Amino acid sequence: MKAMNYKACVCNLCGTGCGQFLKTDGQKVFGVAPLIAHPVSKGKLCIRGWHSNELLSTNERITTPLIREQGQLRPASYEEAIALVAERLTQLNGEAGEIGILASARSSNEDNFTLARLAHEVFNTRIQGIGAEAGHRKSMASLEHAFGYPGAHGSLTSIDKADYILVVGTDITRQNPIIGGNIHAAQRRGARVVTLSSSRTQIAKLSTKHYQQKPGTKGLLVNALAKALLAIRTVNHDRRANIDLLPGYAEYVASLRSISSVALERASGIRYEEIEEEAKHLEQAKSIVILFSSGISGLDRPTIDAITNLALLTDRMDNENSAVIPVAGISNLQGSFDMGVSGELGNSVFKALATPDSPIKALFAIDHDDGIIRDKARIAELDFVVYSCAYKNAFMELADVVFPLPAYNETDGTYTAADKRVQITHKNVDNPHGVLAGWALFQKIAKTMGHDWQYNDTASVFNDLAKHTPGYHDLSHAQLSKGFGQHWNPKAFAGYRQRKFNAINIEYWESPTTAEFPFALMIGKAQHYWHQNNLMRKTIVPRREYDQTLWLYPHGYIEISPDDATRLKVKDKWLVNVHSSIGTHMKIAVKISPDVQNGTAYIPYFIKNMISDFLLPYENAYAAGEESVVPIKIQEA
Amino acid sequence: MYILSSHEIKQLAQELQASHEVYGPQVDPQTQQVFFDQLTDVAALNLEAPIPSMPVKEILFPQMERILKYRYDSEAQSVTMSKQYFEKPKVLFGLRPCDLSGILVLDRFFLGQEFVDDVYLAHRRQCLLISNTCLNPFPQCFCVCTHSGPDADEGFDLDLTKLQDGYLVKVGSEKGQALADAHQWQLASPAQLSEQKAVVDHCIDLFPEMATDNKAWISRVMNRITTGFVKQETWEYIGDQCLECGACSFVCPTCSCFNIEDTQTACGECERLRMRDSCSFEGYARMAGDHNPRQPVEDRRNKRFFCKLSYPQSKKYLRPGCVGCGRCQWVCPGDIGLPNVVQYIRREITGGQN
Repeated sequence: MKAMNYKACVCNLCGTGCGQFLKTDGQKVFGVAPLIAHPVSKGKLCIRGWHSNELLSTNERITTPLIREQGQLRPASYEEAIALVAERLTQLNGEAGEIGILASARSSNEDNFTLARLAHEVFNTRIQGIGAEAGHRKSMASLEHAFGYPGAHGSLTSIDKADYILVVGTDITRQNPIIGGNIHAAQRRGARVVTLSSSRTQIAKLSTKHYQQKPGTKGLLVNALAKALLAIRTVNHDRRANIDLLPGYAEYVASLRSISSVALERASGIRYEEIEEEAKHLEQAKSIVILFSSGISGLDRPTIDAITNLALLTDRMDNENSAVIPVAGISNLQGSFDMGVSGELGNSVFKALATPDSPIKALFAIDHDDGIIRDKARIAELDFVVYSCAYKNAFMELADVVFPLPAYNETDGTYTAADKRVQITHKNVDNPHGVLAGWALFQKIAKTMGHDWQYNDTASVFNDLAKHTPGYHDLSHAQLSKGFGQHWNPKAFAGYRQRKFNAINIEYWESPTTAEFPFALMIGKAQHYWHQNNLMRKTIVPRREYDQTLWLYPHGYIEISPDDATRLKVKDKWLVNVHSSIGTHMKIAVKISPDVQNGTAYIPYFIKNMISDFLLPYENAYAAGEESVVPIKIQEA
Repeated sequence: MYILSSHEIKQLAQELQASHEVYGPQVDPQTQQVFFDQLTDVAALNLEAPIPSMPVKEILFPQMERILKYRYDSEAQSVTMSKQYFEKPKVLFGLRPCDLSGILVLDRFFLGQEFVDDVYLAHRRQCLLISNTCLNPFPQCFCVCTHSGPDADEGFDLDLTKLQDGYLVKVGSEKGQALADAHQWQLASPAQLSEQKAVVDHCIDLFPEMATDNKAWISRVMNRITTGFVKQETWEYIGDQCLECGACSFVCPTCSCFNIEDTQTACGECERLRMRDSCSFEGYARMAGDHNPRQPVEDRRNKRFFCKLSYPQSKKYLRPGCVGCGRCQWVCPGDIGLPNVVQYIRREITGGQN
């Protein structure tokens, strides 16, 4: 019996890992249906997932290898292009840091594992990085210290059963809508949902309690909550757990005790009495889920440490419905880390590109989604750039050799979601141009350069990676094909269950705003903007949604509160001059929003010149992610 | 009315397959999810499967389809065009009455008096509709409230009801009658006719109280929505829960909005795509000159419920725009499927009590 036209797979458009069906005849994708039995998405999809078919039908595909000749890319055979790559890269010294690898958090585990082999064994380089890793590295380090392994603690399905859910920052109904929907459903069934966010996001509105703290103080508030919880514990002797035996406890508690309620209120705008009330709820909860965003717009390390410490202090982390999850915006961010393509300290490709006298001469980049390419000028000056991607994008202009890749439904592959759930997508459409899968391409390059890996198919790559990747040992394609994935096993890590508190410092954040630059500008949410929109711009309906924001605000917009708008005597869509304290400037439209606090302002993270001209000079704005604040003044244009 | 054995029903499907594409409910073996899709082998036809997860409109009004291809020859200054949709005889075998009602609404939209949509017409012509009475409601069903189930009373060519022994077959059109005559099916006995009634009554009894209870309430809510007396706070409460995914429109058997886009293919040809659209999207209602009468999410949400439940819309469709299949409730990440919205409005009417 011929199988039906609906093929189950995993949505590849964020780190939630929702189940979806693609309607296909094996040649083209016609539609999408949600997968009801999927344990996380339970038959729901967001605007991105519902329009995957549009992305998968786009004509903006790379269809053949390309070689740059006299400034122009021209079609080439695989043999010719691979020979050129081998020839050029053989002349470079990987060990001396001349070759850099820029991996993609959207590639499958198989592709990333073989890319790591290519880098380490064939190119002899460790200079590497993942497009969106900045914030995730911090999450991994903090979680590994706290729980003993670099990954989420617990499962996203815990949201459906937990008593208490804490959402720190993250505009989750926009970034990972299905997780946001699950949290909303949890609130409806009676779980206490608490959001810490300086603006009134949708999840803040749907929460049981929203703490609208001043910018830059999320970590302080989480620590204050820990202090209040500790105070209850001290009184309530019979509920005192032996977490006080964990390493770092004494230092942690000493730091917590130093929190002053007066200074807390002054810095965050939240009264300690409110936090004490909150701690009572937290103390009563049997199962606790904490979510925070990870990746390029994630939190800073002190805030993440405050979160993991609070999680340990609750002493509820052994409950099967408790979890601490760094929510990733990109489908395989966790898996890319697991496969070892992230840039370790001292070996970061971003650092190599940003350091003027670094030895880097060539870059091997995969599927670079960011429309805004960091260090573009430096990349343009490199001797040799190789780029591989399924879709056409701006990175091609920088490349000397381009390889096509299949779309996520044109090849078998596994992807590891934000909560470590490893899931498989089987090929359900033939690539019309017969392009090689990533792992097969890398294997071919390796072979040309004298390394024979002998992989026959994606499953054999997986078997190899399972052997070499902690946590993946008991997984295989055959087994992952049976259900809806499986979390990788943290017990494989030596430090498993050796829980430790992270060292924290209590700092009362001083707003960098001054009388001259009175607004705290944050880089924030935008309704229809995901991953700098390289993929979404290749759809039709989501692209229209994004475009209509641009039509309303063609130069981008800055969100301010209605009170501030009155004070500045400006109206919606009026142009204003925004000056930052380091002298950068832009002209931008005002968007008045009641969800923004007085004295704060938001700009979405998608207008190109905003990022490159206005924000890029602010090194810290990148480093601090969601917590970054730029002092600005706003004047009539 | 006739009586056919289960075997004869399968035989009918098999026989129709010679001249028609046969579509029917089937269960995906891996996920147990039900789809109403084309059958290559009628053995997969499962007339007792739960309600299909996607509406049958997928066949007549697909999520995305290429409707036109054209190429401009700049030298000859001429355009060649070819349409990309074709008429094929089809059987929709085992339609749920709710999905059948959905088709009737789509017919009145796409094939109305003022304008006939050629693409829909091509898919809809030569389409044999065989409905199937629901034996039991599924958790989200409320067709009893919207006059679209559990049995069908109009629009079908043939209508089946599973009895203890075999299927009772009702004829609803000349096409259906021709099939009956050609096969010389056995006539049903009066006892079998009353058994059919009992099956339907039994099914209605199985509906949760909320659904049967809602029957009167839905009409009251329709009145409320038509007269515009629903408070702004209620719409805002509903709008706050909308995650703007568009899912409700995509799974609604009666939602007919679409978008058109021309894209260039690699070989210089252009193709015209038509894909479903949703009133929950901000860009959907945007007009030239940047005017958007429905910019806030709650204004977009209430548009949907006006469309499903207000009298003027019902006049257009000759029935309520909602067919009670409950799929919007399943797919909504924000918990504002139509039954819940009815509940919220009803709570407003009673001042907090259900």
